[in-house]
Amino acid sequence: MVDFDFLEPQTVAHASQLLAQYGEDARLIAGGTALILALRQRMLQPRQLISLTKIEKLRGITVDNAGTLRIGALTRHSEVGASETVRAHHPVLAGLARVLANPQVRNQGTFGGNLCYADPATDPPGCLLALEASITLESQHGERTLPIADFLVDYFTTAIEQDEILVAINVPASKANSNALYTRHLRTAAEHRPLVNFTSIVECEGPLCIDARIVTAASTITPVRCTQAESLLRGKTITPELVDAAAQLVETQISPISDSRGTDDYRRHIAGVVAQRNLRKAFGLENA
Amino acid sequence: MEHSTLGKDTPQVNARAKVLGRAQYAGDIKLPGMLHAKVLRSPYPHAKIVRIDTSAAAALPGVMSVLTGDDCPKSLWGGHHKERSILARDVVRFAGEEVVAIAAVSEEIARDALDLIRVEYDELPALFSPQESLTAGASNIHTGRNNIAHAIAFDKGDVDAGFSQSHLVFEQTYSTHPQYPGYLEPMATLAHIDVDGRLEVWASTQSAFLARARLASALELPVSQIRFHQATTGGGFGGKIIEDANSLVAGLLALKSRKPVRLVNTRLEDFQAACSSLPEQITLKIGMSRDGIILAKEVRIVADCGAYSGLCSEIMHVSAMRSDNMHRLSNIRCHATLAYTHNPPHGAFRGFGGSQMLFALNSHLDTMATKLGLDVVDVHLKNAIERGEVSAHGWVIGSTGLKECIAQCVESVPRARGESEAGDKKRRGWGMATAMHVSGNRTIGNWDGSTVVLKFHEDGRVLIHSGEADMGQGAATMLSQIVAHELTIPLVNVHVVAPDTDISPFCLGALASRVTIAGGNAAIVAASAAREKLLRFGAELLKVPLEQLELANGMVRSKTDPTLSKTIGELAKLHIWREGGEGIQAQGSWDAKTTMHNNLKGNVASAYSFAAQAVEVEVDTETGQVVVTKSFVSDDCGKALNPMAVHGQSNGAAAQAIGWTLYENLLIESGRLTNMDFADYTMPTADALPRLASGIVESNDPNGPYGAKGASETAILPGAPAIANAVFNAIGIRITELPITPEKVLAALRARADQMESARG
Repeated sequence: MVDFDFLEPQTVAHASQLLAQYGEDARLIAGGTALILALRQRMLQPRQLISLTKIEKLRGITVDNAGTLRIGALTRHSEVGASETVRAHHPVLAGLARVLANPQVRNQGTFGGNLCYADPATDPPGCLLALEASITLESQHGERTLPIADFLVDYFTTAIEQDEILVAINVPASKANSNALYTRHLRTAAEHRPLVNFTSIVECEGPLCIDARIVTAASTITPVRCTQAESLLRGKTITPELVDAAAQLVETQISPISDSRGTDDYRRHIAGVVAQRNLRKAFGLENA
Repeated sequence: MEHSTLGKDTPQVNARAKVLGRAQYAGDIKLPGMLHAKVLRSPYPHAKIVRIDTSAAAALPGVMSVLTGDDCPKSLWGGHHKERSILARDVVRFAGEEVVAIAAVSEEIARDALDLIRVEYDELPALFSPQESLTAGASNIHTGRNNIAHAIAFDKGDVDAGFSQSHLVFEQTYSTHPQYPGYLEPMATLAHIDVDGRLEVWASTQSAFLARARLASALELPVSQIRFHQATTGGGFGGKIIEDANSLVAGLLALKSRKPVRLVNTRLEDFQAACSSLPEQITLKIGMSRDGIILAKEVRIVADCGAYSGLCSEIMHVSAMRSDNMHRLSNIRCHATLAYTHNPPHGAFRGFGGSQMLFALNSHLDTMATKLGLDVVDVHLKNAIERGEVSAHGWVIGSTGLKECIAQCVESVPRARGESEAGDKKRRGWGMATAMHVSGNRTIGNWDGSTVVLKFHEDGRVLIHSGEADMGQGAATMLSQIVAHELTIPLVNVHVVAPDTDISPFCLGALASRVTIAGGNAAIVAASAAREKLLRFGAELLKVPLEQLELANGMVRSKTDPTLSKTIGELAKLHIWREGGEGIQAQGSWDAKTTMHNNLKGNVASAYSFAAQAVEVEVDTETGQVVVTKSFVSDDCGKALNPMAVHGQSNGAAAQAIGWTLYENLLIESGRLTNMDFADYTMPTADALPRLASGIVESNDPNGPYGAKGASETAILPGAPAIANAVFNAIGIRITELPITPEKVLAALRARADQMESARG
């Protein structure tokens, strides 16, 4: 690791100003679970590390009057998993945070850092997309809010500007009669990153599907909202055949990554299996 | 005997120092003025080194030494073949080979300097498989020799007659993949020139004396000019015997720079520097009678040692011969070839060639039992060699608890099969396998013994000097338990001195599961000699005839009048005063009553350990994922001197075997390793393993200390085939190429479905 200055601004504006001042020589550090590895291997050699840990605004989990859950960007995964507020409003997110990666990463890594890293092989982005979450970015010039879909641009790439800081993740209230289910699949039990994950948020009246939002992620460069499958399900009476057809659409709609952790064909197949299993359970067709 | 811990659960004597962070690993030790070393490695699997420009690196402030192959002694190093230069000279033969070594005042400067070195390579065509390198006309990887590093052939009995008498003859080819040893502590060495001009070294090693001999030979120094200390060692698993270049590079840098130099591998570097286990392709042909008796066996092995053969000749020997000895065999034929390639070198790994062959053999027996309609358990029992028998290769079986091991496993893991509770897409299956290993191996210099020296402090506490290595397996605890037991003193009153070639008696070190049998027996001999001295001196002081005295509760006392006694402490102090300053010291040596292989025959080990394992797996037929849901390993270790340690070794072995079978897969693309970290090379963590269970069988070997044999290497051997057999049991698919990946399981299921489809059509 090459020497660097360690800066600890107390406000977002100051942090943004430092980012603007040092440009490409500077990096933000939150939990550091990804960054430290890159520093050790000298993949990155920043001259300034700007720590966010002193900025109070980036912490905390709150709910506003409209029922929107706000998770401060610096909230650790283990804190999201343990939060009574998250459990009450979006149990699916709390559950996800309790199984993400491994205990070391959950205790050190932050929810905001995870999103900014934009590694496809992780848990939160797909689920947040299904929940129609947005993120708040702030710089010395002001604040803006982006839907998560617009934030996640490409493989390890986000829409964040050079002097911006991710401040919070906002998750709108879920409808009272909707159900969210998150499923992840590890290629083997020794993996700590999902090969594929799948989120469904469904709203039913008896056997009738009123609405469905479904997202597959981790095997695609960015999470994919499966709109064709959603259309197929919406307004229909749910049968095992319909669910299987929806899962089939997920499988064919995506363009999976192909790398040492899984070929595109294998990932596509698993994406279909995971979609089918998730949807069957989501619509109460089976327990597994 | 109230103090004796033999046979009782005993925490490791060095555990406290480790968990409190006091233990000093080689990477913790610092000397004034110490430099930090880094190594530049070849990016090419095969290339001519045209020129190396180190001028910019050498000019970087803080860089104190930059060495290339030209700075190395002419002597080459290696195992069976001396074939490797400390730093590559003229040619590189694998991607990762050491080319330039740098010592600088900080690790960061050394790392900076690496980037300033310009090496001009002329890339050459490379051979990545034995199939390529053994083809007629393939270029020689080492000048003046063909690409066969070693070959073994034997033909005993009448194999062809055995096949013709057989009811079933079955042939199948299996292949195994390399496994990275994955110890917690990457390799590390600190070397410096001491005040007298000798080279002093602290390193993470399994054998201080073998490491010193190799270093002396590679650096062209007399062994007496090197003092080699074994620093606290955070695991070895075979990888820290003598096949890595770490201590050689550090030693060379210290010699040239005349400064203390520390070379600590990062994990990424360790993946490139360490040998992974030997990949083998094994073709087995076995003939069986209708009731499952093996009548003939033919084995063909082609193994890939990579660019340098290290210990692979000996490893392939084990694959070729060892498992023959667990069965009653008359007709066996083998042909084994070790081939050089331009892959990174392979080498010693826990089990030393046993895992590879036992995967093939146990898979094969399972298949044949199914074909014959027999219970595989019966096939193992019927063919198992018995105590008192001599095997086809001349091994004298002094003890075997294999049948008891099998019985424990069958009882502990019920033979569940069929649909899982988790739904019809998941199927459960059961599998088992058996294994044999040695306790010691007479191969080096026609001896296989050990020496222990005991030195008594004047307060009665005892120092144990032994060169046998503790790399986490528990050697120090074992030696302490034995000496304390023999001298009737508490465990805390003995202390094991870390191996130091200036002080410790010569020893071979931790390999071939020999430390308990050789070191343990030597400790008994030394303790007996000490007891003799104590009793004689006690007789003199107490004026009681020797035969009326006993050593008990840490004192020499009269058997008839307990008031007549002297504590060991009193005796130790008085001995110095009364004997002209001579303290009580005792030494004991023990050598195995074994023989070297002669014509591939001979009783090479004092004792033979056996093990069995049963597992239950769950196979997800939609995702191809295999999960081990139950596992039980039973180890016949002769006598468990420390059951807690034996269970720890057995469960660790099971975890490592499960990792090899299902999770760990070194990706080598055109000779280059591509997954050199624990995110991509996935060793099992706790949540990837079932609740591991293990049992102990005590067959009480006549040659073992208190009946003990080696424990821990045997336990890693049956894991892979037990899992493969369970997968077959669950879904009827036989995986013959390790690892068992979800992709392979899915492909096999699909191929079968297609076949059934076309049969129907």
